[in-house]
Amino acid sequence: LSLFPPVRPPKKTSPKKPPTKQQAAMAEEQMEEASSSAAASGTPFQLQFDKPIPFQIKLAEWNPEKDLLAMVTDDSKVLLHRFNWQRLWTISPGKCITSICWSPDGKIVALGTEDGFVLLHDVENGKMLRSIKSHDVAIICLNWAEDEPLSRTDKEDLLSYEDRTTRFFPPAPVMPRIGGLNSGDTGLADENEEAIQAFSSASCQRFNILCTGDKDGCICFSIFGIFPIGKININKVPIHVQSSGKRTSYRLQDVSISKVSLSRNLHQLVLLCSGKLINTDNLSLSNDLSVGVHCLHLDTSIFSNRKNELHQVSQQASSIQDLVEVVRASISMMSKQWSNAMNLFHEKFSALPSLLTAHGMESSSEDEFMSLLFGTHTSPALHQFLVSSLGEAGLKRIAKTIESAGRELRIVVSEHLQPAVEIISFRLAELRGLARWRSRFQNIGLDEKLMDGVTERVGMLVVQVERFSRVAATVLYLFQNFLSWVLKCVKILLSEPTDQVPSTNSELVVIFLKFLLDKDPIKQLLETDQIFEWDIDTAKHVEHLVVFGGFTDTKFLERSLAKQFSELEESLKEAFLMPFTTVSSQIHCQGLLPLYPVTSSDALSSTSTPASIAFYKDKDSQHNASSYSSTDYICFKIPDGSLNLRNFVAVIKDFCNSCSTSNTPSLSGFLLHIPVEYECVDLSLYKDNQVVLLLSGKSSSENAGRSWMVMLQTENLSFSQFSRTFPANYYNLQELEALELQLDTDYGKVRSVPHPLSTPLAVSASRGVACIFSSRRHALVYILDEDEDEDEDEGSEME
Amino acid sequence: SAPMVRMNTLVYATCFADAASSSELSLAYVKLIEQLAVFKGYSAAFCALKLAEEKFPSSTNSQIHLLKMQLLHERALHRGHLRIAQQICDEFGVLSSSVSGVDIELKTEASLRRARTLLAAKQFSQAAAVANSLFTTCYKYNMQVENASVLLLLAEIHRKSDNAVLGLPYALASQSFCKSFNLDLLEASATLTLAELWLALGSNHAKRALSLVYQSLPMILGHGGLELRARSQIVLAKCHLTDPEFSVSEDPCAVLDPLNQAAEDLQVLEYHEMAAEVYYLKAMTYNHLGKEYEREEAAARFKEHVTALENPRDEEDSLVY
Repeated sequence: LSLFPPVRPPKKTSPKKPPTKQQAAMAEEQMEEASSSAAASGTPFQLQFDKPIPFQIKLAEWNPEKDLLAMVTDDSKVLLHRFNWQRLWTISPGKCITSICWSPDGKIVALGTEDGFVLLHDVENGKMLRSIKSHDVAIICLNWAEDEPLSRTDKEDLLSYEDRTTRFFPPAPVMPRIGGLNSGDTGLADENEEAIQAFSSASCQRFNILCTGDKDGCICFSIFGIFPIGKININKVPIHVQSSGKRTSYRLQDVSISKVSLSRNLHQLVLLCSGKLINTDNLSLSNDLSVGVHCLHLDTSIFSNRKNELHQVSQQASSIQDLVEVVRASISMMSKQWSNAMNLFHEKFSALPSLLTAHGMESSSEDEFMSLLFGTHTSPALHQFLVSSLGEAGLKRIAKTIESAGRELRIVVSEHLQPAVEIISFRLAELRGLARWRSRFQNIGLDEKLMDGVTERVGMLVVQVERFSRVAATVLYLFQNFLSWVLKCVKILLSEPTDQVPSTNSELVVIFLKFLLDKDPIKQLLETDQIFEWDIDTAKHVEHLVVFGGFTDTKFLERSLAKQFSELEESLKEAFLMPFTTVSSQIHCQGLLPLYPVTSSDALSSTSTPASIAFYKDKDSQHNASSYSSTDYICFKIPDGSLNLRNFVAVIKDFCNSCSTSNTPSLSGFLLHIPVEYECVDLSLYKDNQVVLLLSGKSSSENAGRSWMVMLQTENLSFSQFSRTFPANYYNLQELEALELQLDTDYGKVRSVPHPLSTPLAVSASRGVACIFSSRRHALVYILDEDEDEDEDEGSEME
Repeated sequence: SAPMVRMNTLVYATCFADAASSSELSLAYVKLIEQLAVFKGYSAAFCALKLAEEKFPSSTNSQIHLLKMQLLHERALHRGHLRIAQQICDEFGVLSSSVSGVDIELKTEASLRRARTLLAAKQFSQAAAVANSLFTTCYKYNMQVENASVLLLLAEIHRKSDNAVLGLPYALASQSFCKSFNLDLLEASATLTLAELWLALGSNHAKRALSLVYQSLPMILGHGGLELRARSQIVLAKCHLTDPEFSVSEDPCAVLDPLNQAAEDLQVLEYHEMAAEVYYLKAMTYNHLGKEYEREEAAARFKEHVTALENPRDEEDSLVY
């Protein structure tokens, strides 16, 4: 991605020059300038710039690697801006976008839509790379986590596995494009093909998992964002809670997931969701209070423990899936091309039978052509058909169409279909090898028998493709021969010279009349429901080959190419479903922490309550570099009225560890009381243990129109431990120590912003910048770390 | 890629059966039978060979005749019928230097087989001498694949003669040779031999050997034949057993699974020597675990294979199929 050299914020540029000349902004900017110059020494965050934007921004996310900010507007346009606010591209996917996130390498932006699609877009040009339907309802949250490179030890490096395909095969074929006029619906595929190529090769270097959570409580996991590896429904997950030696089972109902976060070692997943908590042992115990927002900890150690295996499998499987798409497109395109040509042919030649009946003759068109060929006589009907209704020009047109269709067919077979099928078979053979390694691959669900079955199927497909190309070549030659013979006849009938017509083989004309005038073997091969007849000799031959290790399914030649392909697809699906279900079944719920109750009336708005989850590496981790532990921080706003608290923000840490090790209850947190005249608009966890809060003045108070951005160092605040006693009281948050937040506090850095603010807040840990949006359609970018050197360190750490 | 070899041959045999010349078609059949022998064992291969012989009378077809001899030789070696193996080797020698001229490929194959027969007969120095002279020939005629496999054979000879240190350079040379010529399967087996050599050097090298086995396993399991697969499983189990940090009682599956798989494969292959090894290891493991019934069973099977190896009873049987 050399297109975007990392743009560093210019050093110590004081915002002397107003960066915009917009009239509306002038007054505010002067004010801003005044305040920033007045507090040049005291004000913590430096304002980088303040730009008006003509949209209402709904979601915003910084690129983890480069200085790029992706934003989603209220009308679901996606904008990509550079750090200097230069716009790179705008796209409108035409769907309502409900969530956004970046791939860990910053090369792909993933969008979740209202109808359950995940769209992957290229950062360079905004082109859509993939669209995957993994959910049925709106995707609320996305999280794309990558395996930390630090966690690789030498031993795992030796387990690394090389994809040999590139060494033995030319680059994989892409979808065939439809030449000429009849493109249109595949126009998109045309543009995409190079991008897809680049995507598959670049994104598979490091193991990463995209988690998507939807409104109905389903979480999907997909490796590289494209290969689905697991799906769990929180509504069906049993939650076991150990309290005072007693084990109680709970279940959540009507779950809507609002936030997911996968730790960077892929070991644990924390999610926030709203729903009703039900005690499955004692159903009567549930009450109104049980509807609320809960925090769940899922054990995803299958991903971290088996990441090498999953990486290898998904690398092969995802490219197999790509190639299957190529094959599908090739087959559909061939059948389209061929049926176009055949339609023309039949349209022209169907005039003959009607002419024959018009002349009161009983014979079929085949007989007529036969008698013409053997020179017995030319019936008036045939004469009329050949000379007037078909004509020389019409005949030439048919010949040309069929010839060009044949050429297309040949190209598609040789450049797309055949190489694709070959690479599929190679990759499947590799996968089968992996499947044989039972001790490592059986527990991620790679099944040897299923893989064997798929390998057989693909072998039959290879044979089918070969047969298809042979049949196609024969048929085309027969057509050519027949048409030039008819042309010759026409010329003779018109008593024109025939020396320009290529000579024809009358024997082949007979074969054509016998076998091809009414039948169409190419079409038969391209349609799924056709049974292809094959002579007894070959059937015997195939049975004979079984002894030599041929395919045990001797009936495979009866199937058409398309049928064989759909069978391959089916068995592939079955084979890849095994890892999917196996992995899904190994994701368990480890712990539950009810956060706060919501009354059913505001249950809907609860999903939009600001919250943030992040994992930070333990600094005092005693472990070696290979298995560091990480601490999770959950930060969220408690909606007014819930728990009898008003204007509170809660920060909780160490939830995961408290779930896994019950003997050391380390779960702790604190509450933060925000001054009454302000309300918390959005919040975010930032870098190591810091919280960034956006506070906006309430419209009723005199502070309306003024806002504050606050960064708190959580280490300076006192975390108090709190217990998780079930089931006496679901919600224990009140136990936490409440701190008053003063805006001139020593806890952290505070800066006033002369705008009323709205969501979202986008902070970038790698760059140390924050972008906030005012409700008057302004975007403000602040530098959070004045210390550039610290920023530098952070940046290099990220790399 | 072995499955692709099979697939493409099948394509040829199915689609072009009517158009191909008989020599080409017989080549396709030969390839298929070779695959069968490697992946499905000898009985299946000989069954197919009979059919092929009916189709192409062997008197006119040298390819099928050669194949027959190769298969017989392999089987004789595996069964421990050394006299038969020697006899077939001599036949090979005669074939390779016929009156009509010297077929260099056939000649190298003949001496390769001779070296392997000598190795099986535990005449290490003679085997090494044959292999060395073979290496010089191959080197002279730039036969890279043969070069690599001869190097591997030399490593094997040194390993079997308990000279692991001497074998190491040969295995390494073979490995790097394979790497530069993209001979992945041969490279994997070279890596496996390397692991065996390290293992032979003592238990403190078990970790290194294990990682080498891990490296080669995907390749071997995917494309290797029964023999190679079984060998890799045995080495895997041995790595675990020799590793001082590994305890059988904690994770018996890590040892028993590969051993069971190897036993299955070797049963098909009728390879007595390695099967005996497998059962020996199995009996030892069960002994550690305290499962006496299983131990006795494995020990009985071990004895069976050893006696079969030591007293080759039905030697004449080896020539019929």
